[in-house]
Amino acid sequence: MDGSIGISNLEKVYGEGTERTKAIDDLSFDIDGGEFVSVVGPSGCGKSTLLYIIAGFLDITDGTVSVDGTPIDGPGTDRGVVFQDYALFPWRTVKENVLYGLEEAGVPDEEADATAQRFIDMMDLSGFENKYPKELSGGMKQRVALARTLAYDPKILLMDEPFGALDQPLRETLQDQLIDIWGDLDKTVVFITHDVEEAVYLSERVMIMTRHPGTKKTVTEVDLDRSGPREDIVTSDEFTRKKNEVWRSLREETKSEVQP
Amino acid sequence: MDVDVRSLGASSIVDSLKSIYSLVLLLVLWEAVTRMGLIYPYFLPQLSVVIHEFVVLVSTGQMIHAAYLTLMRAFVGLAGAAVAGVAVGILCARNALFEWFFDPLIKIGYPVPVISLVPVFMLWFGIGDVSKIIMVAVGTFWPIAVNARDATRQVEQNLIRSARMMGTGDRRLLWRVILPAASPGIFTGLQIATPIALIITFVFEMVAGGGGLGALEIAGVRGFNSAQTYAVIFAIIAIGLVLDRLLRAARTRLLDWT
Repeated sequence: MDGSIGISNLEKVYGEGTERTKAIDDLSFDIDGGEFVSVVGPSGCGKSTLLYIIAGFLDITDGTVSVDGTPIDGPGTDRGVVFQDYALFPWRTVKENVLYGLEEAGVPDEEADATAQRFIDMMDLSGFENKYPKELSGGMKQRVALARTLAYDPKILLMDEPFGALDQPLRETLQDQLIDIWGDLDKTVVFITHDVEEAVYLSERVMIMTRHPGTKKTVTEVDLDRSGPREDIVTSDEFTRKKNEVWRSLREETKSEVQP
Repeated sequence: MDVDVRSLGASSIVDSLKSIYSLVLLLVLWEAVTRMGLIYPYFLPQLSVVIHEFVVLVSTGQMIHAAYLTLMRAFVGLAGAAVAGVAVGILCARNALFEWFFDPLIKIGYPVPVISLVPVFMLWFGIGDVSKIIMVAVGTFWPIAVNARDATRQVEQNLIRSARMMGTGDRRLLWRVILPAASPGIFTGLQIATPIALIITFVFEMVAGGGGLGALEIAGVRGFNSAQTYAVIFAIIAIGLVLDRLLRAARTRLLDWT
């Protein structure tokens, strides 16, 4: 179990007959265990569909998607999803939300409590354990969602535009927190975003998708030293070069859509 | 809990009187016009006479017993409707077969003024407790089922997905996610159903007798003792008010996360 993902000749069709739309066509892509991959593309390119397929929420029409060599069969605790709308359980406090996955796994109370507290502290949520989600800001809710997912220790993190609803400074803080977590916890991350800078800043590889139907267009490798402060990373040549590369590729895609 | 500082002082009595000043004014007016003999006492006795009658009915135990009968019928019926209504409502939202069967029934059953079926219930089940309890159950089933169904349908897909991802299977999903997520809507259904349960019980008791507040109330009119009728109406208003407050308090307590 190293958390690798294998996608080969994936095809996803929604609807039947005249309603038939192909969302994803002949997509092949392999992600190594422990790798951080972002998927960018114009809206409607099927990037969220791809994530939901890996999560096991959607059936595939053709091809194979496997985790550690085993084809995916529905949702499972080897993967964890972080949604843009947080999807916290509103009737549970912060602590109870983080405990959920541990309860389902049958972890003894004391151990679960200690684990939950560790991730609450890691996400700077100490002091908010007994608050309900409605009492938290968007950024804090997303940190709770992250803590909840990390607590049950899935090998793979699937993130669907998780910072899309947050304002810029908050996004940056959470991005840096995510990099730290990824460095410390050895997770495979698949990160969906439409923000080119975010994709390049965070990931080792960026996959750009075409639209209608969605498939792999280009893959950009980003070789950044992310141990330094943010300002050093975003002003580096590699960052600028790769950002432009991804941006150009994405722009071609958007243009081709405007001029059919 | 925010406690208003003023409510701790003596001015709180003045404040609460202010909030119901129109009511106080009407009661004073009632006593005044009846004392002046402007209204025939059988139509509207003096307020003081009604209050006296109320005290007498309570102290002889008549009112307490009648209230017990009414509340027992209303709440046994309501409890049955709650169990059945929540179960059917959730199943309708989660199961295609149940939806196919119950949705048309709910569409027709919900708007029916159940009270119009009292004669049929007397015909089928007689005029005793059982008949009244079944009537209450049938009448309150619909709003409870509809609210449970709609609340279940509105449970966010991503909550269910999150739970599944974290290892919650089909059977546990109901208890772990769907019921708690739908509970505010389910509670709303119960809040709507409670006064309906009381209305059905009162009316049935007026028509069919067998004791209870409805029977006591109409006996006042039939026995030329309208003070008794008004005294029972006071009791009914008080019960309605107290139940409404209790349900609201329970809601804030149980659903403090909403």
